[in-house]
Amino acid sequence: MKSFFTLLKNETKLNVRDMNMVLFAVIMPLVVLVILGFVYGSKPSFDGASYTFMEQSFGAVCAISMCAGGLMGLPLLVSDYRERKILKRFRVTPITPALLLGVELTIYILYCALSLLTLSVVAMLFWKVKIYGYFWAFIGSWLLTMLSTLSIGMMVGGLAKNSKQAGVIASILYFPMLVFSGTTLPIEVMPKIMQKITSLFPLTQGITLMKNTFLGLGTENYIIPIMVMLGVTVVCTGIAVRCFKWE
Amino acid sequence: MSDAIKIRGLTKSYNGKIVLNSLDLTVKTGTVFGLLGANGAGKSTTIECILGTKRFDSGKVFLLGQDSKKRRRNLFQKIGVQFQEGDYQPEIKVSELCEETSCLYQNPSDWKILCRQFGIGDKMKQSVKNLSGGERQRLFIVLALIPNPELVFLDELTTGLDAKARRGVWKALAALKQQGLTIFLTSHFMDEVETLCDEICILNQGNAVFYGTVEGAKQKCGCDKFEDAYLMLSDEEADAE
Repeated sequence: MKSFFTLLKNETKLNVRDMNMVLFAVIMPLVVLVILGFVYGSKPSFDGASYTFMEQSFGAVCAISMCAGGLMGLPLLVSDYRERKILKRFRVTPITPALLLGVELTIYILYCALSLLTLSVVAMLFWKVKIYGYFWAFIGSWLLTMLSTLSIGMMVGGLAKNSKQAGVIASILYFPMLVFSGTTLPIEVMPKIMQKITSLFPLTQGITLMKNTFLGLGTENYIIPIMVMLGVTVVCTGIAVRCFKWE
Repeated sequence: MSDAIKIRGLTKSYNGKIVLNSLDLTVKTGTVFGLLGANGAGKSTTIECILGTKRFDSGKVFLLGQDSKKRRRNLFQKIGVQFQEGDYQPEIKVSELCEETSCLYQNPSDWKILCRQFGIGDKMKQSVKNLSGGERQRLFIVLALIPNPELVFLDELTTGLDAKARRGVWKALAALKQQGLTIFLTSHFMDEVETLCDEICILNQGNAVFYGTVEGAKQKCGCDKFEDAYLMLSDEEADAE
């Protein structure tokens, strides 16, 4: 446990010093929220809706930091450590891949949590956003969406041969999901056909679940998105730890 | 006296070319062993095969009496390693790198004392990337000693150090040897080898061409200077071809 917290402290410091994640996982979601706020203000989601457009989009904006961390930050960090032979140095110490990945994973969880916190405060203060559903159901779906997205990143980072390959895979995952799964562009404003295609992304499932729990739309089917995301998390984490490459 | 390292029939090839040919080595506990040879002779490959960062084709490696492939986590509690090309996280500071290394071990040495001992005590707050080559080299020796190891591997330990710093490193290692530390090193400096090593092995294209003491090497070649003996032995096969 001592190893975990000392590593976490130092690796978090290094990560913050790098600034990339501060920008993409904390500041960028905030910027998107503020833009949405200025465009839509407190307008209802559609004529006669009991909730505002901002409230409907809140879950999606929370997913931006997950995208940044899981599909960009985490895979690039792990593959960069491998390429720089930092992992090789760790290999001749008593550390296990699970501990090392656990530390890096925790850093990105912290970023996502910080993002959730800042978004909540700003959205509540300036646009009176409030939760209609169950608080803990929303937190649960947030947690599940985050873990499944981060586990994809761990797997990519664990398996990619070098940081260039990881970069390509990360971009292929990151940009389509960021643009089309409803994180930056609300799904509701997309053409119907596009909505159908994007529903295949695992992140879209997560965002839909977050939206429904936030707005209290309890009629939808919860089981499928939960099973999909749990499955992704278990499979990707398992592969990341089992097939971890030090070099 | 027990054996800190025991290697039997270690063989490795890359793409059909043999880079280590059935190497046998024994390093007794509490001694300093030097692995010598020209660039590309197979020194780093040997170290990596011993440590398990490279796979080998056949043979057995025992470290501190244990099969090196089993219970690695436990084994590496007691082994320190300095690789030839040590790398580090960009932006990391000396103190952070030491702390990160230290936290992985059950009974680590005090890294602040080690840093002072190796002359980088005033650099703890600096970024590793801003250190000079020699300072960084000494930092990586410190990192290898942080585990408070029974056995330490030092690959080209004093490359990039000035004469004074080299003497300092020798002195510190001699003191640690007194306390029972076993040291496995590679070096291109024959004065260093002569000062530090109890036994040596000279590699040439993956074959052990000499195995014994520095004095033994001098006697075998009839040379007064060890460097001459080394050159003669390490070139033997190349000349014969």
